[in-house]
Amino acid sequence: MDTSYPLQALVASAREGDQGAWNAIVERFLPLVCALVRRHRLSEADGDDVCQTVWLRLVEHLDTLREPDALPGWISTTTRNECLRLLAARKRMTPVDPMDSGSLEGVTADVSGVELVALEERHALREGLAELPAGRRELLLLLLADPPISYAEISERLDIPVGSIGPTRARALEQLRNTRAMRALASASLESEGERR
Amino acid sequence: MNDWSDDDALMAALSEAVGEADEVTDRRREAAQAAFTWRSVDAELMELLHDSALEAGAAVRGAADPGRLLSFGRGELTIELEVGAGAVTGQVLPAQDATVTLQATGVEDRTVAADGAGFFRIEEVGSGPVRFVVTTSETNLTTAWVTL
Repeated sequence: MDTSYPLQALVASAREGDQGAWNAIVERFLPLVCALVRRHRLSEADGDDVCQTVWLRLVEHLDTLREPDALPGWISTTTRNECLRLLAARKRMTPVDPMDSGSLEGVTADVSGVELVALEERHALREGLAELPAGRRELLLLLLADPPISYAEISERLDIPVGSIGPTRARALEQLRNTRAMRALASASLESEGERR
Repeated sequence: MNDWSDDDALMAALSEAVGEADEVTDRRREAAQAAFTWRSVDAELMELLHDSALEAGAAVRGAADPGRLLSFGRGELTIELEVGAGAVTGQVLPAQDATVTLQATGVEDRTVAADGAGFFRIEEVGSGPVRFVVTTSETNLTTAWVTL
């Protein structure tokens, strides 16, 4: 099993004890977890610990997870909570100068709503990319390579004419906009706008 | 929501998203994969009831600060923990004979006996994810993982 399988299937197989399915879940959500951890400005070692706690908690949570679609939200919430708990616990262990009001700010240093939306968008983009047929995904990744790869080399690597790279890129992006992950993101965004009104 | 109807804007967003995935370290990936070996289908979980780290004003404290206090429970049984410098002391309630096992990743389990009043102490506890298994004459319960 790889990351292209639907989340439902990956969660079901992981429940059966399939390490490969678990690894695929990790691959899909680890960038989101790491990005969330980074925004809480923990030390690298504490970041590693929080990260591992999140996955250990997910292992124990797998069987009670009613709806695999709730997984992204669960992972995001659990990661933020674990970061805030450890930040607060670390503050207890270091001497605090009561006159230094600045030292209290870190306790509630959660990520902002705007940052959270951006993180969820980037997660959806990666999920959408994983849904694309392998050839189109590879083309987009080659076009994104840093340092850039020339069209001539991309043409050679993928065995497609240079002239078709541009049109294929356009088709791949259109397909990306219509992936399940990207449509879910768009409808979630419309819903939250509706709530704000 | 960003306007991704423009191809170049969408490519730029995609670049950021892919770049974020490239920042994942192998160390974190391996640890996350290894977490699966801790899967135990029949473990009965004690949920977190309290963590003093989350209390308002946790950063303001007096000289007699007791350290971080945690409690977990399931049904009648609770375990209360005080995380001090390098050691964890605690109590199993209701008070009874019990053993408490500290589980952490990458190290052997360590088991201590609680005295008749339920008190126990575990020395040399480092930082990182841990959980506790409480075994009484009647039951065997495992706490949720917590980062020390």
